[in-house]
Amino acid sequence: MHEARSTTHLTDAQLFGLAIPAAGAPEALPSHLSDCLACSRALQEWKGAVRELAGEMGPIGARTPEAWAEAEDHTMRSIRRAGSVRRGTPLRWGVGIAASLLLIALAVPMRRSSPGAPSGAGIAASELSPEDQADDALLRDVARLARADETGGSWDSLVPEPGTASREEERL
Amino acid sequence: MRPTTMSRVRIFLVAATLAGFALPAVSQQGFPDGKWWKRPRLMAELNLSSEQSREIEKIFVHSRTRLIDLKADLEKKQLALQSSMEDRAADRRTVEKEIEQVENARAELQKARAVMVLDIKQVLKPDQWEHLLQMQQEMKERRMMAKEGRQNGYRQGPGRNGARTPRGE
Repeated sequence: MHEARSTTHLTDAQLFGLAIPAAGAPEALPSHLSDCLACSRALQEWKGAVRELAGEMGPIGARTPEAWAEAEDHTMRSIRRAGSVRRGTPLRWGVGIAASLLLIALAVPMRRSSPGAPSGAGIAASELSPEDQADDALLRDVARLARADETGGSWDSLVPEPGTASREEERL
Repeated sequence: MRPTTMSRVRIFLVAATLAGFALPAVSQQGFPDGKWWKRPRLMAELNLSSEQSREIEKIFVHSRTRLIDLKADLEKKQLALQSSMEDRAADRRTVEKEIEQVENARAELQKARAVMVLDIKQVLKPDQWEHLLQMQQEMKERRMMAKEGRQNGYRQGPGRNGARTPRGE
């Protein structure tokens, strides 16, 4: 119950203190509550649980020891239920973010291996042994150089067409 | 470089290509790059047997040293030409000679690659060869479409529905 969920969010102990303030003490709400919807909702749940408990248990002065024990158990159950609901949302976000990162991590190497590849362009380079990967790179370089389609290998890149050159100069 | 020199270079390119490999059956433009015969998915797609894969590997290994040498030679000559082109005081004749050297080196590399491709073609069955070229063509088209898509996306600008364009419309 007293575990700290987050360095920024209110702890269970703080929420408990806010839901059941000490007798005669003014209700001092931390400024975090005005900014954090999750903590604000959690506090409402805690307060609701306290109200629900008070309604079920009747006047405090008439309670037997068994009734106090039952009240304590009920309070603990309500608090745990509220806590688990609150923890569910960050967990779902965490799973979503992790899945996105995994997809990105898988997609980036596949994009890198794609230029010049045949129909198996999406095939990861890891399908090949390191020696084969070196050969693969050699063959791609050879093809690129033979076709003169590299940057600096094409005559157009060295000597632009007259019209192109003048437009380049105009831009400069 | 004046247009006359450009024309010479183009004529030279055509001549070197014709002299270097009169192999119309082997389309270097359409031949896949890389070590495709070692990729399991491509092997399956082409129905390439392990024996064929080994045979192609032998052909490649036989050509590899020469390809490495010719590639290095071309790159060195390209580098020399690039330096001369960037040098405003470079001698015109020297540059012309370097251009010819680059294209000679490229023709040698093309020839070596074409011969290797021709040997590989002999290992494949006709339908495998056709399928290989077809796959390469499809991949090329997909790449071009993706490239055009990226370019169109840039022209449309980052906003939705063309709300913002580089032209500020």
